[in-house]
Amino acid sequence: MAEIKPKPKASEQPKKVTIDIGDGVAIPSKEDVGLFTAWRVAFFGAIGIIVFLALFKPDPYLKIMRFVPDGILVTFQVTVESILLALVLGLFTGLGRVSKNRFINGIASLYVEVIRGIPLLVQLFYIYFALGRIVKLPPITSAVFAMAICYGAYMGEIFRAGITSIPPGQTEAARSLGMTSSQSMYHVILPQAFKTILPPVGNEFVALLKDSSLVSILAVSDLLRRGREFASETFTYFETYTTVALVYLIITLFLSKLISIMEERIND
Amino acid sequence: MIKEDRRKMVEMQGVYKFFGTLKALNNVSLDIYDGEKVVIVGPSGSGKSTLLRSINKLEEIDAGSIIVDGFEINDPATNINKVREEVGMVFQQFNVFPHKSVLENLTLAQIVVRKRSKAEALEIARKLLKKVGILDKADNKPHKLSGGQQQRVAIARALAMQPKLMLFDEPTSALDPEMIGEVLDVMVTLAKEGMTMIVVTHEMGFAREVADRVIFMDEGRILETGTPEHFFSNPQHERTKQFMSQIL
Repeated sequence: MAEIKPKPKASEQPKKVTIDIGDGVAIPSKEDVGLFTAWRVAFFGAIGIIVFLALFKPDPYLKIMRFVPDGILVTFQVTVESILLALVLGLFTGLGRVSKNRFINGIASLYVEVIRGIPLLVQLFYIYFALGRIVKLPPITSAVFAMAICYGAYMGEIFRAGITSIPPGQTEAARSLGMTSSQSMYHVILPQAFKTILPPVGNEFVALLKDSSLVSILAVSDLLRRGREFASETFTYFETYTTVALVYLIITLFLSKLISIMEERIND
Repeated sequence: MIKEDRRKMVEMQGVYKFFGTLKALNNVSLDIYDGEKVVIVGPSGSGKSTLLRSINKLEEIDAGSIIVDGFEINDPATNINKVREEVGMVFQQFNVFPHKSVLENLTLAQIVVRKRSKAEALEIARKLLKKVGILDKADNKPHKLSGGQQQRVAIARALAMQPKLMLFDEPTSALDPEMIGEVLDVMVTLAKEGMTMIVVTHEMGFAREVADRVIFMDEGRILETGTPEHFFSNPQHERTKQFMSQIL
């Protein structure tokens, strides 16, 4: 009855997999007391300052706050459209990166390498003007394409990490039941990988929202652009950019909180 | 003991498998007949898991031939997925699907691969869960189950495909001792129902109860073959004697 070699007990839980991609915001978790407190101070502090300024110095602050909301909508529009497109690109890139087919793997890897080596701002200009030679797209469409292509590469790496974090035994079990490799990917691996990649994807969402301020360069009237328009008319540069910064801060802190709540729900 | 007129379920001829320079399988030839129960034993690294995994092509062999259910599985013209439908496998680490309920674990491949209707798949799944004694856990996620229960789910999942051959790769090695019995009981029942089984295990009690043949492997070769009694009473090779004295 004795065993020849000690085998790992399956009852021992596998280590929780977390993928850290550090270009978003710090996601507050309850275990990190320092960050958790900092989140509260920053979030409620920013709201407090905004309310204070609007009440006690309505000129120009309240005027600015009335002027920029259109921009917030555009910022969200660019962010949401880009992230959705980036998710699709990322899924296929991730699948390509784990593909055994050398050609597919090569294409996916090349895309990731090239995109990650070029600054987003340069990509924005490039796609805007390069595409502009072939088709005349509205600036916001070019902006969304450029952001999606850039973030698709990062997303691809997240998908790849998520897929490879699933133990190979899962694939073996699926394949031994007669599933094709795509069936086992679709029914067994990806549903499990999604759980692992949701937090870093949320993180990318916040990072993308911040980076979307770059599209103001392409004459897209996002939050930053609206601020610039207001400032250049009224010469209230300090007041405007203070407000713009506070609004970005409140949005990103709010989103990072949402992500941490979502993460807790998933892990339950 | 072995009726030679029975159909061969597995025919392995001169099979080699290398991991780098290590010969995991070194000229292995082995026939498994319909309805036969074969237990493979051997020290760690002797190639027994590799042999088992080469039968459903989870390991690709480097030379030789393996015919399973009439199909040469290493022929590129063979659709390996079709062969795997008929060959159930149970793993040491269970490999149940953690994101699916117990019932869904059993119905997934039936629906996706066997193209059964959901109702039919559910009926078969419930019947099998009852058989392995965990029908009451049907709607639970696997992580709520003990190791022994998870392994019984894994066995039922493989059986739901109604395979012609079942491969067991150390099915009780990852279990706490008190759960080994419940899994072996299921396997014994299955054996008595006439399933063709190839089992890599060190459970010699199980071997004695159900095995038609025991195969001893060492360093990628089949060193000795015989009835369970043969191994208990007079193993021939020095390595076999040594091994038997270690595990008994």
